[in-house]
Amino acid sequence: MDNLLATELSVSELTSLIKQTLEQGFYGLKVTGEISNFRPSSSGHWFFTLKDASCSISAVMFKGSTWKVDFTPQEGDKVTVTGGLDVYGARGTYQLKCDTMEKSGFGQILAMLEMRKRHYASLGYFDEKSKKAIPKRPLRVGVVTSPTGAALQDILNILERRAPSLDVLVLPATVQGEGAASSIAKRIQQANNLLLCDVLIVGRGGGSIEDLLPFSEESVIEAIHASEIPVVSAVGHEIDWALSDFVADLRAPTPSAAAELVSQGYLDYRNQVAHLHVQLQRSIENRLLLAESKIRRFDTKAMEARIGSIISAKEYLLANAGNTLVIAQKQLLKSYAGRVELAIRELQALSPLAILARGYAVVQNQEGKLVASRKQAEPGSLLTLTFTDGSRKALVKE
Amino acid sequence: MSFETDISRIEEIAQKLNASDTSLEESIALFEEGMRLAKALEKALAEAKRSVEIVLGDDPREAEITVLQ
Repeated sequence: MDNLLATELSVSELTSLIKQTLEQGFYGLKVTGEISNFRPSSSGHWFFTLKDASCSISAVMFKGSTWKVDFTPQEGDKVTVTGGLDVYGARGTYQLKCDTMEKSGFGQILAMLEMRKRHYASLGYFDEKSKKAIPKRPLRVGVVTSPTGAALQDILNILERRAPSLDVLVLPATVQGEGAASSIAKRIQQANNLLLCDVLIVGRGGGSIEDLLPFSEESVIEAIHASEIPVVSAVGHEIDWALSDFVADLRAPTPSAAAELVSQGYLDYRNQVAHLHVQLQRSIENRLLLAESKIRRFDTKAMEARIGSIISAKEYLLANAGNTLVIAQKQLLKSYAGRVELAIRELQALSPLAILARGYAVVQNQEGKLVASRKQAEPGSLLTLTFTDGSRKALVKE
Repeated sequence: MSFETDISRIEEIAQKLNASDTSLEESIALFEEGMRLAKALEKALAEAKRSVEIVLGDDPREAEITVLQ
């Protein structure tokens, strides 16, 4: 460097020296300025100019760093970047190569919010025990939000789908910028003064931390705290927050979620009724099945079978009894037969014919009268002699 | 009649239907009543008959309200 004055340099040599000097001399910088001429490239790099009232500097942020920035810079955004200088030799230009970017004042805003939060916490504004219950089935939902915002459309759509009979009253408010906080606070007071609804959703869609600031303003915090009507705070996206979330009776992560919360009771009812509907049908079906099964015992076929079985049992009994009778009769007959035989034998013993067998004969006259004396047998009369094996005629001689 | 009492009535009916000492005639009458109530409730809960309105004006002491377009 000492002999730089005496040396003849090529453009490349000079550029190289400048590059070394600037890049090694200006690193780890923290620069605040306003974004201008913001040109994101299709490859994901950001090119822009950072300027203040009197000066400007080219800046670049490469893809490897831009993804870590949680917002897309807009023309005029005041940002604070960190990085170093970078020399582009081909054009002989220098630029600020940014590694990080945040909205300027972000840190101060956070610190201010934190302080305010502690203040109201110490006043007991966030105490769980002072929170009012959100009605399960409100009759009219008030919505304090921008009448033209997407948040209102989301809320209306969800309420229509889940609780189509639920009335909605929009209390239009300015939700960002000048006058937003007082506009929001006034609507909350108005709803309370006139008792316009039985639950209030206070919120807006997503935005930058500055956009959401009105919901952290003191007038809004006071209005929510004083509200007799239960308030659901629904500010921004899930990751966003505002102090209204802490002071409200319920915090919803998004406006859509707030709509879901206030309509949950109706949805529960619908599910419960649908369930009961099914239960009724099932119960009556069971009841009818039971009745049917009782009746089925009396149908023709079953009756036939049952009566058939009763009859056949009786038939069996009867057949059995018949048999017994026949046997008894046979035995009776047999005993009669024995007695008859005996009687016959006795009779036979007494019969005169038995005497004939021993050589006696029965004598009868012509008239068939027994001849038991000689006087009845006159000589010359004809007598009949009956022997055991037949009879003969005999003539009396003397 | 409110949703509350209607739903409790349906629950009561469902319980009676499951009880064995309810006669068949009674069961059928109860069932019809329950179904009528359930359908009416389902209709009331699903029917779009809401009003969507918007407050006009800024006066916190009075509110002119009109239908939201």
